[in-house]
Amino acid sequence: MFYLITFTLVYLVITVYLSYLGYRRTTTVSDYMLAGRQVHPVTMGLSYGATHISTSAIIGFGGVSALYGFSLSWLTVLNIMIGIWIAFVVFGKRTRKMGKALDAHTFPELLGRRYESRFVQGFSGLVVLIFMPVYTAAVLIGISRFIEVYLNVPFSTAYLAFLLITACYVIWGGLKGVLYTSVFQGIIMVVVMAAVGIYTYHAAGGIVNAHEALTKLTPLIPQYLKEAGHRGFTSMPAAASPVWWYVITTMIMGVGIGVIGQPQLNIRFMTLKSDREINRSIPFAAIFVLLTTGIAFAVGALTNVIFYNNYTELPITAVQGNIDKIIPLYIDRFYPRWFVALFLVTLMSAAMSANSSQFHTLGTSLSRDIFEQALLRGKSVAEITIVTRVGIVFSIFSTLFIGLILPESIIAVATAFFFSLCGATFIPAYLFGLYWRNGTKAAAKASILCGFFVSLFWMLFFHEQESQAFGMCRFFFRSDTLAGHPWNMIDPQIIALPISFIVFIVVSLVTRPVREETVKNAFRHV
Amino acid sequence: MLGFQDIWIFTGFILTFVSAIFCVIYGIINWHKGSMEKDGD
Repeated sequence: MFYLITFTLVYLVITVYLSYLGYRRTTTVSDYMLAGRQVHPVTMGLSYGATHISTSAIIGFGGVSALYGFSLSWLTVLNIMIGIWIAFVVFGKRTRKMGKALDAHTFPELLGRRYESRFVQGFSGLVVLIFMPVYTAAVLIGISRFIEVYLNVPFSTAYLAFLLITACYVIWGGLKGVLYTSVFQGIIMVVVMAAVGIYTYHAAGGIVNAHEALTKLTPLIPQYLKEAGHRGFTSMPAAASPVWWYVITTMIMGVGIGVIGQPQLNIRFMTLKSDREINRSIPFAAIFVLLTTGIAFAVGALTNVIFYNNYTELPITAVQGNIDKIIPLYIDRFYPRWFVALFLVTLMSAAMSANSSQFHTLGTSLSRDIFEQALLRGKSVAEITIVTRVGIVFSIFSTLFIGLILPESIIAVATAFFFSLCGATFIPAYLFGLYWRNGTKAAAKASILCGFFVSLFWMLFFHEQESQAFGMCRFFFRSDTLAGHPWNMIDPQIIALPISFIVFIVVSLVTRPVREETVKNAFRHV
Repeated sequence: MLGFQDIWIFTGFILTFVSAIFCVIYGIINWHKGSMEKDGD
């Protein structure tokens, strides 16, 4: 308890100080929303990584890799190549230039101004405001599960307490406060995750021995997973089996592709002064992702070896099926008490750096995208930062409600749900907005609506994971899904994203283009 | 294959490091490119 109190106090004092520093240096709306567009590349790389990689990756996806093994290493590949390189080079550079040219302060505002559409901005803001709290809740559940295991307190108490701590410091700082604190938090995450990775491989007998020991555990995999296509912790699932569709389309592609449509990440490119800062921040962000997700997924898989060597059982048995508890239990059982306290601080860092950006994005969605553009029809008001803070408070309450009603083993699922929904809804309009001058306002509206509603329809009536939980399909058709294998296992994004792309192209070819001066203005720095 | 059972897992594991190294090299090569003055921005 001494270590816990000491580490937590030191961490919170530094975090609050950095947040206060951000607050003191926030004087304009541009400061509050975009940190004055003058962010250092190391700050950008680390804060982007720390926002992207949250407790959801460490606890949620770490638990998933404990169940499905090293197949999740492909998610790390996608996180680096799509989540960093393509996001920065293909999307980031033009997002920065176009954001500056259009004077956009939020991701929905960038889309809205590019297509001259208040509807695009308002609807995009509404999608963020309603659905992002599911992801925010997933991040908070990650640390709450650890506190539940470590301090032996009820999950709901841990969840409420941590939500209040996060809320207290997020509301005031603006994006500068968020950036300062997320760099500090990112450094903690890298150091502690590297230590966990080294210790785990050492305890499992070295790199090759650890992988061989994991391979030998294949016969212990639960029978229901074997029947569904699980072929071992160091082997990909049987091609086209239910487990294969789930791991590939939901866990790997859902998050790996959906990251491009994340509003809280895309806004970061608008905070940079020039393309040089983007080029320079790529190595820092890539190494950060490698050392956090790469290690989390490898450690998740190797917990099977450690648990079996010590208890002759797999961790999935030890946690009675709740995979969100595997990493917390592993750290709690096999590490010295001072390190467990330090790991809790790491999870605080991971949760706070992601949550602060999420709440900031939620706040600006309400104030800038919905209130100012959709309701006031573009009239600026002096109280915009106050409305943003009202938006943050609203989203904190919706996060509280959602987090307490979600079931167990939900962190990775809820994360994939939001990433997949954003991917299908935003990516076509975003990509064509940056690269195709002939994309039209009608096409952007049609593509965004199509991506969103096809995703929602697929979730409610086809993708069994969600359709079973919502129960609407059973209510209308007396069945959990309208289609059998493989359709009931294919992630909504895999269906909705291609449709959304096709709709954008077809509608653009038959409708009136955006005014020439708007297009010229948008592309003037490109 | 580093103790892995499957060529796909081995490939994914190796690509993890390759992709990170690629990003680092890209950043170093382009370290001085893209400043406001140089690209006429």
